[in-house]
Amino acid sequence: MKNISGESFEIRLEEDNHTVFFKGALRLSGTEDYAPILELLKETLANPPAPIALDLRELNFLNSSGITMFSRFVIEVRDHGGINLHVIASEAIPWHARSLKNLQRLMPSLTILLT
Amino acid sequence: MDSQTLGSYMERSGHCEYLTLAFSPVSSPLRSRWRNNGLSADFLGDYVTTFLPESAGRARAERRQNEIKYSVTYIANELLENAMKYHERVVDTPIQIHLELTSDHITVSVSNGIGFEQGQRYKAFVERLLEGDAADMLLKQQLDSAKCDQSAMSGLGLLTMISDHDAQLGWRFDGDPALSEVMTVTTRAVLPLKDEQGVSA
Repeated sequence: MKNISGESFEIRLEEDNHTVFFKGALRLSGTEDYAPILELLKETLANPPAPIALDLRELNFLNSSGITMFSRFVIEVRDHGGINLHVIASEAIPWHARSLKNLQRLMPSLTILLT
Repeated sequence: MDSQTLGSYMERSGHCEYLTLAFSPVSSPLRSRWRNNGLSADFLGDYVTTFLPESAGRARAERRQNEIKYSVTYIANELLENAMKYHERVVDTPIQIHLELTSDHITVSVSNGIGFEQGQRYKAFVERLLEGDAADMLLKQQLDSAKCDQSAMSGLGLLTMISDHDAQLGWRFDGDPALSEVMTVTTRAVLPLKDEQGVSA
């Protein structure tokens, strides 16, 4: 298990099931600050390909630089090929339903599970 | 240069509730002041809920109130982040964020001083944005950002305000007759309030 945390957020990678959990508010200032998180996400990419899950149910705020980070990861997964990517989101958090569909436009096979 | 407006830029008219925060353009590093953007944006998001109709116990109204609160917080945060990043520190122009509430819309606007060159680049981006479709531009920016193109990143915040938050954006560029190398830019986002009543006038 690996963690990255900051004043307002916590991120946890469970390597065994290729799942990354996000919690809190992500409002870092740009590509450079998001780089360690993107690297953590990339650790879910495995050979042979295995399904990846991003659990965002407790991620209540994400700024546009954070949206960019997720976009970059989704493109990476798409280009890797043959990987199922699942995003677990919450209906109670307003940005989930609205903004996650943009990720689906980048990778139509991405599934969003709204709970 | 004097003054120029782009997009849907309406000046205030009639009764409204408002709130303004102004930050001095300090020289301390951006990193040490970054958390300030989130704190201010959270405050503004929370503040508007005071003026929205009571929603307790009504699931749909509560949900809509949450959406409005989130949109105001998101927009305030993005506009402040941009202003703090691009503010021209050599001039003593405060960075201001202004919130207005009327019966049918909420407005969030941020103004700051920027260098002439930066202002011209911003204006060119705004003109492209006004000609294009925000959702298509957003997709393109997301694809470009995968190639680590830094320039693709700025602007994504504005595009998401339009495509994910239904905001109408407007801009005002004001030149300073005494200082030709700087200008003040105001970015204004208007959120229409659909089924709910805003401030009781």
